Amino acid sequence: MKTRILGFVALAAVAVMLVVALFVVPADLNQGDAQRIMYPHVASAWLGYLSFGVTALAGILWLWKRDLRFDAVAVAGAEIGVMFTAFAIWGGMMWGRPIWGVFWQWEDPRLTTTALLLALYVGYLLFRRLTDDPERRATRAAIVGIVAAVDIPIVHFSVEWWRGLHQTATIGSPDRVLNPAAPMVFVGTLLGTLAAFMLAWLYFMIRRYQLARAELGREEQVRRERIEAARAPHPAASPTEVAR
Amino acid sequence: MPQTTIYVSPRSLGAPDSRPPSVVTTDLARLFAGSPALAGVSLRIEAARTVALLGSNGAGKTTLLRVLSTAIRPSYGRATVDGLDLARDADLVRERVAYLSHATGLYDDLTARENLRFAAAMYRTPEAGGRVARALSDAGLAARADDRVRDYSAGMRKRLALGRILLGQPSLVLLDEPYASLDADGMSLVDHLLTAWRDAGVSVLIASHATDRLAPFLDGRVVLERGLVSAVSGDGVTAEAPSLPGAAPVTEAAR
Amino acid sequence: MSALRADARIALEIARKDAVGELRGRHAIVSTLFFSAVLLLLFGFALGPDSARLAAAAPGLLWLAVVFAGMLAVSRLHLLETDDDALEQLALYPISRRAIYAGKALAGLAVMLLLGLLVLAAVGILFAVDVGAAWLPLVATVVLGAIGIAAVGTFYAGVTVRLRAREVMLPLLMLPVLAPLLLAAVKATAAALAGDPFGDLGAWLQLLVAFDVIMVVAGAATYGYLLED
Repeated sequence: MKTRILGFVALAAVAVMLVVALFVVPADLNQGDAQRIMYPHVASAWLGYLSFGVTALAGILWLWKRDLRFDAVAVAGAEIGVMFTAFAIWGGMMWGRPIWGVFWQWEDPRLTTTALLLALYVGYLLFRRLTDDPERRATRAAIVGIVAAVDIPIVHFSVEWWRGLHQTATIGSPDRVLNPAAPMVFVGTLLGTLAAFMLAWLYFMIRRYQLARAELGREEQVRRERIEAARAPHPAASPTEVAR
Repeated sequence: MPQTTIYVSPRSLGAPDSRPPSVVTTDLARLFAGSPALAGVSLRIEAARTVALLGSNGAGKTTLLRVLSTAIRPSYGRATVDGLDLARDADLVRERVAYLSHATGLYDDLTARENLRFAAAMYRTPEAGGRVARALSDAGLAARADDRVRDYSAGMRKRLALGRILLGQPSLVLLDEPYASLDADGMSLVDHLLTAWRDAGVSVLIASHATDRLAPFLDGRVVLERGLVSAVSGDGVTAEAPSLPGAAPVTEAAR
Repeated sequence: MSALRADARIALEIARKDAVGELRGRHAIVSTLFFSAVLLLLFGFALGPDSARLAAAAPGLLWLAVVFAGMLAVSRLHLLETDDDALEQLALYPISRRAIYAGKALAGLAVMLLLGLLVLAAVGILFAVDVGAAWLPLVATVVLGAIGIAAVGTFYAGVTVRLRAREVMLPLLMLPVLAPLLLAAVKATAAALAGDPFGDLGAWLQLLVAFDVIMVVAGAATYGYLLED
């Protein structure tokens, strides 16, 4: 019930912020209306990173506590993260096309880093599918998730330096909005969009986790039933003292 | 068959009854892809006992040995070896347990001697050179020690794997079908090892169908059926019923 | 401190065992070296015959060849452990999991160093770049890159060795993680060859060092979990 309320609130918040971003906030002087997509694009990218952090952390908690619910959180994080990351990349391309004239710009550090993040996520999800046994899968996925997550900051720095070498203007970044001189209305819109998307993220995460949890519960039920069935007396056996 | 040289571990000294039990399992269960190979084994084997693990194929013998060796983790339940918890102290357990499985774990492209030298380095065996030579001769492989394992027959590999156990200082030896693939000489090697281990106070748990051959060496037997203990007998071996409600008790003879 | 030394000795023994096994066995190291040469030839066909273009692309081509051939080489070392379930036996010895990782990674490093230096020489010849002039930073880059590829490759080879579809999973998992190493190594190589005009060679080498340290620590910390089942 509470989740449903959250869902409605999130939906409302996202709708409001989209209206603000698309119609209310003044357009960028240089880029015009195309710049408006920056707000959901950046928010989605940040939530993509957050999701992967959640997945990695959940993996660590599984290895420590051996509670499969943590693995359910991990898979939720990965799938929701793929969603937001893919949307962020799409948004980036939609933004780039009118501005740069091309869909992809290698010098945009966020776009390339986010693309790599997507590759890591997809690899993680495909890797999970190769193991059937839930505990083995959780352990293997946890370590793959941890090493991938550890890689993200390195990717970020390396791409930043890469971009830094070329002194071309950073057309695609929100830095123009996030510096102290920017008018409050831009910053406010960005933060507001982030907050709204975060509510949506939370809603999706909870729903996905509930699904995974229910699946776990079913599997656990089956396992217990099988163990009980194995322990039930079987008519054929009449075990006795084994003769020496 | 020459004598076999067992290096007695300090842990195996002392009266067996004053030492912790070699194996204690509590409701040990392990599932593979949803289906239970072990369904709740609660077993206790006292120190310095040689025990046969019996049961038909698929009863869970190999799985039990693999859990005790730390090769796999249990799904439920706990176990201790020499009083050490398998989950918490796995590295300490590995110092005390030797496991001979169906697969020998030998490297095909190395010679027999090199395989044992490597094992000796892993066990940190003191005086490795001499012990390797003795293990090779005890296993009857001294003449072919410098041939690659790739060229060995299944029986020779088995003997080499048995020789490898001599490089460690286990207080519990787990053997999975030790007589399989062996000729008459190989089987006497196993017999000699069983005698030597018993004299050295080492516990041995053997999964095997060869009950007649093993009979003179055994202190007790455990019978597994569909992942549960269905009977035990002998000195120093006890079992309890699994503790899930609605479970069937183990036969009276077990108590 | 003596626990560390014991671990180091175990790791060296494992590396030695791998080296002997691989050299004696299926001659895969030679095949991998030859494979990297074939890759370079194909790059020449794909991007040539304009030698100026090839010379400009040389740093990238060098590292692409090293990464792809290196991936194969390092994964082969884990294939050695499929002999009669040797990996399970290895995990049963009373040795620390870190030492097992370190041993296999060291063997991988030896292969990667050999591969890297040979590819460097080959690129010098095939794409007309003067590797002799800046040999010190170039060798440093190769060494740092080799460490990173060995560390990451050993980890993922262990992760995929017992899986079905391992031939495609290994590159799929490993290559995105190697992206920053590839970037830094290529940039460092290009800077070294050009005489470090912008002064960024040091920065890229530092990034490589950071990558190596982080990946070795992450690999050593998590590899043990692979061995339990």
